[in-house]
Amino acid sequence: MKTIVILTCLIAFFGFRQKTTAQTLNWKTSGKAKHVLSAGIGWDYSASYSLGYAYQLEAPVPVVLNTRFSIPSGERLLDDFKTSIGAQVLLFNGTDLKGSISLNGLYRRYENPLVILQNIGSELKGTFGYYRPNWFLAAEAGLDKAIVTRFKHSESFKETIFQDVTDGWYQPATGGHVFYGLQTGYSFTNSDINLRIGMVTTQDFTTTPLIPYYVMIGYNQRIE
Amino acid sequence: MFKKNLVAITLVSMFIISCSEELIIQEPGNLVPKTVVDDTGLPSVTVHGTTLHAETFGNPDSAMVVFLHGGPGSDYQNGLHVGHLADDGYYVVFYDQRGTGLSQRHDKKTYSIQLYLDDLSAVIGHYRTSPEQKVFLFGHSWGAMLAAAYINAYPDKVDGAIFAEAGGFTKQLLDEYGEASRKLNLFSEITNDILYYDQFLTGREDEHEILDYKLALASSFSYAEGNDEGIEGPSPFWRNGAVVLQAFTDIAEEEGFDFTTNLDQFQTRVLFIYGENNTSYGLEFAKKEASFFPDAEIVQIDDTGHEMIYFKWSSVHPVVRNYLNTLNR
Repeated sequence: MKTIVILTCLIAFFGFRQKTTAQTLNWKTSGKAKHVLSAGIGWDYSASYSLGYAYQLEAPVPVVLNTRFSIPSGERLLDDFKTSIGAQVLLFNGTDLKGSISLNGLYRRYENPLVILQNIGSELKGTFGYYRPNWFLAAEAGLDKAIVTRFKHSESFKETIFQDVTDGWYQPATGGHVFYGLQTGYSFTNSDINLRIGMVTTQDFTTTPLIPYYVMIGYNQRIE
Repeated sequence: MFKKNLVAITLVSMFIISCSEELIIQEPGNLVPKTVVDDTGLPSVTVHGTTLHAETFGNPDSAMVVFLHGGPGSDYQNGLHVGHLADDGYYVVFYDQRGTGLSQRHDKKTYSIQLYLDDLSAVIGHYRTSPEQKVFLFGHSWGAMLAAAYINAYPDKVDGAIFAEAGGFTKQLLDEYGEASRKLNLFSEITNDILYYDQFLTGREDEHEILDYKLALASSFSYAEGNDEGIEGPSPFWRNGAVVLQAFTDIAEEEGFDFTTNLDQFQTRVLFIYGENNTSYGLEFAKKEASFFPDAEIVQIDDTGHEMIYFKWSSVHPVVRNYLNTLNR
């Protein structure tokens, strides 16, 4: 059911031509656009769908403010989600070679029959690549840090696993992943189609998530 | 004025946050219970270079039934009904295997099948009160695989065995069972439930508290509605052993295993039980596993699944008691 609702939303979104993955930009073509709407689908720890919006500031160096909302697939619609808000700055602005850095604050939620987790985190990402008016190819690397997490366990957890479990906010960082990969895209008229693909590992490079890959396919609609 | 207010609000916020109790995820007792190393009040036995969470029921001089729990990486809590065999005149021994339950944790690289067999020998040796005392193994799931491995290595050391849905006596059978019992739909909620939280929690290979907790959260997958193993709902456990699970998974993948090479030497009758509702196991799989023994009895436990010992002990008990009594005359 959740999948159907999500697909319906995405179809509606595409129908209104308002799709994007806000964080993946062709810096060569985004210069004139003030607003970028995005939609995406892919694998981000789980099969996920995302919607985003980016706003380009008038500044001496290109700065884009962005926000994104994503939910994983599944029958329950909003038990799990991730939101982000932050900014991207184009630090190296060569003719075709460009390098940017982005910093996003994250709020995410997870629920299963045993626990509800709420997390405040951050994502720092650097991107460097070759950008042409119709396409781009860039390498990216970043750190996704789960800074503080609230644990709230269900009665089922307490009855069957650990009665004395301590609920509350846990510090310091309860998680952290390094990701690295490639992003590429094709641009036409006021649109971009982009692809991000890469690997995820823990911040100390000793273990990986159960599925240590990510892949996101996105569509951007630029509005001047 | 605005700046002053902002500074005041910030300072008050920082004060409130700094006064709140800081919970540490790695601290035993916060998200996972303490092991026998952290809580010396827990019943335990120190053998073969490790301390195991262990307890016994019944007369120590009676015929011994050693319960081997599933996993690898589970514990014996959901098998505690087996302790009722003490009322039937048996000495029932439970222990959490090395690295799981409330037993001591060790480095991943130290684990091996032989180490687990040696631990079992040490546990039997510790509790056995005379050379004449009979020893029966009662294994559930992985524990039944371990029982087969033990008999395969030492056919003369035990006097009978009960196998409750062994996951596979060979790597090939394990894969066959795994494919039948753990089908993943990438777009379903239960799949999302075991994958999405990876971004909230990460642990290094030696951070047992985090890794064990993460594995506990994944346990809801096993009893999700419509599961192939016919599991009715959650059954209790203390604490998983994530590192030992990963260690034995790696061993199985890299080295393979075959616990059947000497089973034909074990002439004593063995008992296989399986749950009617476990569509991944069933009579056909039980027959495959039983065929390695010269004399095997197979019994279906009606109206239950893989966790038959917890959910249908009333049906399991008479079958097991009759089998043991036949061999304990």
